[in-house]
Parts: sequence; structure tokens; C-alpha cells
Amino acid sequence: MSSSPPNLAVDFAGVKLKNPLVAASGTFGYGVEYEGILDLSRLGGLVSKGLYMTPRDGNPTPRLAETPHGLLNAIGLQGVGVRAFARDVLPRLARHDTAVFVNVCGDSIDEYAEVAAVLEDAPGVAGLEINISCPNVKKGGLAFGNDPAMTHAVVAAVRKVTKRPLIPKLSPNVSDIATFARACADAGADGLSCINTLLGMAIDVETRRPKLAYGTGGLSGPAIRPVAVRMTWQVARAVKLPIFGIGGISCAADALEFLIAGATAVQIGTANFVDAGVYEKILTGLTDYLVRHGLTDIRQVVGTLEIPERT
Amino acid sequence: MPTNRDVVLVDKQALGGPYFVLTFEHAEVATEGRAGQFVMIKAGQSAEPPLRRPFSILATDPAQGRFRLFVKAIGQGTRALCALQPGEPAQCLGPLGRPFTAPAADEEPLLVAGGYGIAPFLLMSHELRARGVTARVFYGGRTAAELQLREPFAAAGVPLVLSTDDGSLGFPGRVTGALEAHLDRGGDGRRPRLYACGPDPMLHAVAALAARRGLAAEVSLDPWMGCGVGTCLGCVVKIQGPEQERWKYRCACTEGPVFDATHVVWPGDATSAAAGAAR
Ligand SMILES: Cc1cc2nc3c(=O)[nH]c(=O)nc-3n(C[C@H](O)[C@H](O)[C@H](O)COP(=O)(O)OP(=O)(O)OC[C@H]3O[C@@H](n4cnc5c(N)ncnc54)[C@H](O)[C@@H]3O)c2cc1C
Ligand SMILES: Cc1cc2nc3c(=O)[nH]c(=O)nc-3n(C[C@H](O)[C@H](O)[C@H](O)COP(=O)(O)O)c2cc1C
Ligand code: FES
Repeated sequence: MSSSPPNLAVDFAGVKLKNPLVAASGTFGYGVEYEGILDLSRLGGLVSKGLYMTPRDGNPTPRLAETPHGLLNAIGLQGVGVRAFARDVLPRLARHDTAVFVNVCGDSIDEYAEVAAVLEDAPGVAGLEINISCPNVKKGGLAFGNDPAMTHAVVAAVRKVTKRPLIPKLSPNVSDIATFARACADAGADGLSCINTLLGMAIDVETRRPKLAYGTGGLSGPAIRPVAVRMTWQVARAVKLPIFGIGGISCAADALEFLIAGATAVQIGTANFVDAGVYEKILTGLTDYLVRHGLTDIRQVVGTLEIPERT
Repeated sequence: MPTNRDVVLVDKQALGGPYFVLTFEHAEVATEGRAGQFVMIKAGQSAEPPLRRPFSILATDPAQGRFRLFVKAIGQGTRALCALQPGEPAQCLGPLGRPFTAPAADEEPLLVAGGYGIAPFLLMSHELRARGVTARVFYGGRTAAELQLREPFAAAGVPLVLSTDDGSLGFPGRVTGALEAHLDRGGDGRRPRLYACGPDPMLHAVAALAARRGLAAEVSLDPWMGCGVGTCLGCVVKIQGPEQERWKYRCACTEGPVFDATHVVWPGDATSAAAGAAR
């Protein structure tokens, strides 16, 4: 038994994270919204809301609907645009000791590359998460994420313009996620985010209208966790890249499921809306778990799934 | 600064029907909370419903570090909150949002409430009282049964003008009717300034009335909120300031919930981006 607290720091595609907890894109704004509510320096990292070249309005309202243990959203990537982000937000984030990843979006392959190029000289960017999996926009988004050749093309195009760690974010709305993981690896990805939201729909039976103005939306929250864990496990077996496990994490045990399945770190999304104190609770829970299991390092947990022999 | 805390219910008062006054311990909300601001709160540790719910701050007690909410139980989240017993936990983030703007000395503050929209106006009456100003509060509902928060105003000596759509109590008709009757009598002589909180159609009516009469008005909007801090972008409303060519989506949680009534683009008012999207 060691007396010093167990190590929670991990290396993700060359980025040092002081712990494996990262705030997921679209659920943490640009990070600065939480200044004063929680200590951003306690996070391993954060991922910005999705950014295009120009500001976007996003979709009409209602944009959110609660479903059993889940949340359906069709925000449609409302945002300030990458230049305003680089100019106004990055300097503020630099005051906090946390890794900042930027969620890169595009209507076209060229736009993904343009956004990445703008960020190439911006100080304080730890890595780029390529959003090829947003189900709530008509162009781009999912169109790139559910065709392996398109996925390859987007990742390769961004690879050409950036030396930064490149982390495509995979869509769960595909039949074989491993194929997409391999396409990303072939195109030069340094890591993978797994997963974005599941395409869903909810209907108001009184009015017979969709609950979301956009019609369909992306499902997140505890409801999707088993799907996300399964996909993380499949991706971990398919490629050697580090993985951010994402989907329905709200406590230490949830995070551990992803780490055991093979994720190097995890992202926390919908739980941010529920409780800004979720990071402290999970950090305490992870430490307790390691101590209880006589482990000294969170990395000793990664990819340790045991599958009993069938009898 | 908004502060996130695990809190406990310290007192619960059942008013008539689905209406409750709940008291919680939360030092920052108690000392920093202003009229028009709100908290995001969720009962206990239960997983369902997943998200917290927004409620206007009804009253604060800085000395005791407590605040109150006036809650109408209408669905899963509000029912869970109203089912709490003293001593039981809740999770609360606040105070949040932009409060109402104080009236100038030559303005007569007229507070116009529909249903649970009365909540911010008790705190506002107290704030005004502290500055030596007496507010007049118009409190409307469909029936007398919806006007459950009368006693605290009476106790504080705040003039309360009641109205019911069915005429069962006070002025018969809409709350805006009661307000217009007062304005037509010339009010108290000062320039009227309107503050409104309640259902959207009522706020729209107040905004239209204010525009017609050239009065300043602030409205507290009530969209569905997911986070309360500007990150989910679920609460956006169309806002167009005087200097803007076109509306922009603004977060009601951080840039509101209180907006200048003339800046709000009301549903049906302008060409809606929703056209063609909802199918
Ligand atoms: C800034 C702000 C301040 C508020 N202050 C108060 C207050 O002081 N007292 C109070 O009782 N309530 C207040 N509300 C409304 C309250 O938040 C909702 O009633 C609550 O979220 C409903 O949750 P639920 O789980 O009980 O109902 P749900 O099951 O979520 O909904 C029940 C029904 O109400 C509708 N609904 C849900 N939320 C809203 C909403 N915000 N506006 C209109 N319809 C809605 C739903 O569409 C559904 O039909 C406020 C809302 C906002 C945005
Ligand atoms: C309101 C909302 C907005 C989101 N916006 C983005 C986004 O801009 N870019 C992105 O890659 N993912 C976005 N996501 C997906 C999340 O980052 C995450 O992958 C997903 O919600 C699953 O994690 P969770 O169950 O912990 O929320 C969004 C999710 C929600 C709920
Ligand atoms: S409630 Fe989430 S952005 Fe306003």
C-alpha cells in the first residue's frame, strides 16, 4: 500500500492531462461560462463548443427535450465562429491550468481545414477534435461521419494543415464503428473521441408534433452509456490510438467502465448541466476506487476488461 | 457569483392546490440574489428527471442564509421538489441571470404578474421598499384558485390588484385590463414603468400595451432551460436591440431572463427561422 495518493494523470496523444476527466463539446460552452462556478484548473481538460469559420444561429427552438435518463438536443451548432473564439476566449482560458481542445466543424472539407488552419498559430490549443458526427446540421456533420471514405477525406485534409493532435469524434449512428476508427487512423488521426450523440426523436402525442423544432435530435445522457461503452470497447480493439470514452458519464463507476473498456480518458457531457460539482465527485470516486483495489495509477485500469471463459 | 451547493429544505408551506412556498439554506443566493434572478434546482439525489429546473427567487433572508421559492407543481421536476420534506436534500445553483432594473425616482413601478410569475415581485417589492418606494402589484390568474400568493404582500403592506379571467376574484378580466384601468386613471402621476412576469401571451400583451402607450417595460421570459449558465443553448430567445439589423438568439439564462420588452421578437411577430425546420 502506498501512502501518497494514486496518480490520475494520463498522456493523451502527447497531451498531458492532470486527470482523465475532460468536459465534452457543446456541454461546457467555451469553458469561460464556468469561471467562478467551478475551478477549471481541476479539470484534465475541456473541449470547446463546435466552431465553424463564421458565427452561426443554430436551429429554431425548442432545441432540448428530456427523455428517460437522457436528453435529446438539436442545437445545430450555434456559435461565435473560430476567429472570435481565438481572439476573445483562448486568452481567458490561458489563465487556467487545463488542456483546451477545440471542436472543429465544417460544411465542407475545405472549411474543416480552414478552421484548423486558423487554430494552428493560436496559443493555448492542446488539440483539435474533429466533429464529423453532429446529427443536427443539414450539411457536413454526420454526412462526413457515416461514410468511411468521407471520414478519411476530412481527417486527411485537416492532417495536412495541422501538427496539433488530431482527434476525430466518431458517430454512433453507423453499423460498424471499427471501420470508421480505422479510416481515421489511416488518415493520420492521433486519437479518437467515442461517441457523439445517437440520432433520436420524441413526439408530443397531444399535438402529434416532434418535441424538437428540428424534428430529430441527438440523444445523450445515462440512457446511451451501454452503447457508448460497447463502441469504446470495439474501437479499442480495432486501433492503437488513445480514446476519449464519452456517453452518459455521471459518476466514477461510469467513467471506470470506459477506462476498463480501453479508453485512456473520458469526456463528461450532459452531467455538466445536471451538476457542476460532478468533476470533484468523480475525482474522489476514482481515487477511492484505486485505493480500494490497491492500485497506484489510473493507467493500471485502462483496457483491463476481463472476459470470463464461457463454460 | 453563482454558487453550486448541495442544500437542504428547511421549511415547506403548502398553499392551496399545487402551490408551495419552499425555504432552502444557501448563503450566496440569500445574500446576492436580486429580483428577477433565479436558481436551478433539483430535488434529492434521484436520477429522474435528469435536469434541474429554473425558479425565480421569491424572497431572501441574508441574516439566516436562506431563500424562498414559490413553486407550482405541474410536472415531474416540480412535483419532486414539492414532495421534499424539511431536512431532505436538493442541489442548487444560483443566483443566476440578469435582474430587473430599478426604476428611476420619477417612475412609478408597476409589477404585472400572471400565475407563478408573481414570484420575483415579492423580492422586488422588498427591494423597492428598502429604497423607500412602494410598488403596485397586479396579480392575475384564470381563477381565484390560481392567486395563492397574496398573504405575503398583504403582510408587507404592498398594494395588490387582483384580477381573474372568470371574475371569481378582483378585477374581472385579464391582468392587462386591470393595469390599463390604473393607467387610464392616471396612475400615481409619475411616469409608469412596467415589469412583467408570467406566461408568454401575457408578456406579449404587456409589451404591446407598453409599445402602444410609449412606456418602458421589462419582461421576464420563461423558456425551457437546461443548464442556467449559458452552455446548453437550449433557452435561447430572439432578441433584437435598437442598433441591430436582425434578431440574434440570446441565452435567457445569462442575458435574461429579464429583457427590455421592445427588444423581444415575439413568436408570430417576424419571419421565423422555424419555418421549414419543424417537420
Ligand atoms: C427564469 C424562470 C423562472 C421560473 N420561476 C418559476 C417560479 O418561480 N415558480 C414556478 O412554479 N415555476 C417557475 N418557472 C417554471 C418552472 O421552471 C417549470 O414549471 C418547471 O421547469 C417544470 O418542470 P416539471 O418537471 O415539473 O414539468 P415538466 O414535466 O418539465 O413540464 C410540465 C409541462 O410544463 C411545460 N413546461 C415546462 N417548463 C416550462 C417553462 N419553463 N415554461 C412553460 N412551460 C413549461 C412542459 O412543456 C410540460 O407541458 C420558471 C421558469 C423560468 C425559465
Ligand atoms: C446540448 C448538447 C450540445 C452538444 N454539442 C456538441 C458539439 O458542438 N460538438 C460535438 O462534437 N458534440 C456535441 N455534443 C455531444 C457531446 O459532446 C457528447 O458527445 C454527447 O452528449 C455524449 O456524452 P454525454 O452523454 O455525457 O452527454 C453535444 C451534446 C449536447 C447534449
Ligand atoms: S439554460 Fe442552458 S444556455 Fe441557457
